[in-house]
Amino acid sequence: MAQVIEKKGSLWVSTGVIRNSKLYCHIEEIGYLAQIGALVLFDEGDNVMGLKDIFTKCADRQYGCSWESFEAYRHLKSLGYIVGRQGQPWSLKHNKINPNSDSTVDTDLIAGRIEELQIGAANLIFDIHQPNSKFKKTDPGNPSFIICLVGDRPPSRKEVEDLEKKCKSVPLKFCHVSHDNVSFFSFPKVSLPVLP
Amino acid sequence: MELSGPRWKGKNFAQIANSNPMSEIIAQLQVCLSNSESAALPIGTDFLLETVPELTKLLNRTSFGRQLTTSYDSKQYFQLSPEETFYLHHFLKCLKVSIDNAKLIDVNDFWNFMRSRSELFPIYYRAYVHLRSKNWIVKLGTKNGVDYVVYRHHPALVHSEYAVIVDRENDKGEKEGERMRVWSDLHCAVRACNGVAKAVLLLNVMGYEVNFNLPELLERTIVDERQITRWVPSQCRDDCKLEGNKGEHH
Repeated sequence: MAQVIEKKGSLWVSTGVIRNSKLYCHIEEIGYLAQIGALVLFDEGDNVMGLKDIFTKCADRQYGCSWESFEAYRHLKSLGYIVGRQGQPWSLKHNKINPNSDSTVDTDLIAGRIEELQIGAANLIFDIHQPNSKFKKTDPGNPSFIICLVGDRPPSRKEVEDLEKKCKSVPLKFCHVSHDNVSFFSFPKVSLPVLP
Repeated sequence: MELSGPRWKGKNFAQIANSNPMSEIIAQLQVCLSNSESAALPIGTDFLLETVPELTKLLNRTSFGRQLTTSYDSKQYFQLSPEETFYLHHFLKCLKVSIDNAKLIDVNDFWNFMRSRSELFPIYYRAYVHLRSKNWIVKLGTKNGVDYVVYRHHPALVHSEYAVIVDRENDKGEKEGERMRVWSDLHCAVRACNGVAKAVLLLNVMGYEVNFNLPELLERTIVDERQITRWVPSQCRDDCKLEGNKGEHH
């Protein structure tokens, strides 16, 4: 996760998270913005990080992101959707956070994702809001839907039900990424009526 | 895709359907078939039924089987699928069946006969009962690459709304069927069916055990209904107002 030092433009209304009044970016946001030339990333030595290094970090799985989740992020973001990490608050005020300390607890509070994304398992990855110029990080409301990234095979009925319970009443969409194709499916429960 | 409701094939067809509830026509079929001496005989994996005009009319109106065109006037012939035959015999209790052309078979022997021919017959029959008992018309969906297509009333009046795929799971909730195993299966089903304005309905037969008898099949299994839909984010719905730049399109 990186801290945004200098920002320009309205894209920051719906990108990055606020922690104690400071703006931070997750690696997928960095990857997307860097790719379109809207962001420059510096490392600790104040050297500019190239796209190769940024993309490698996106795919690393250490930072709560995988190449597949990055592809999904990029696909939706470029279509104007507001994409946040699932379950993470857009804005947080916590007096105990001190970004200058190297305590791992503080980093986790900022980064918000402690577990790595597991290969093959179904992972809830993003909260999606519709493209909306009225979106506010301090009061985003419920997401329009939640994206679940799935591996090689489609989820079973039980897997779908278990994940729906985690999402409570927010609609769930399943994302499958293969090469450059990003597809979304949903499996809503229906009830065929009894006809006269 | 989102269905906006049944697509009736003609102007007053919805009213015609309303005035002729399928359950009533089926009740008439039951009476007629019970009074008939005709018995269904196996032909290949299907069954042949010799009928007379009154019965022919009712089978056509309730869309069971397909009529074989012949040059005869006094008698007609229907070819019924295994599920249709068993449904008329077991669930509606009105069709006589004879396997070896000598005597009529009873429901338990007929059940064993069907099971010996097809391991999956119980699963398909369970799905068929689920749909027909809600008074939907059920036809084979081979041409659409699915198991069944279902109609809200007679296919002459209305287009089918759902393409049905039958799947099953074991008692631990683990998928057991061979359908929808890989993502391209889902893409294929949705593309093929949306192209003919049908939604894909996945019927999951839950709780089935191989040693179930016929009453257990109906009483101890549950059929879960879910639609399979594909969302294309670049094609927005009502409340989606795109602002800003569009990047990649898929």
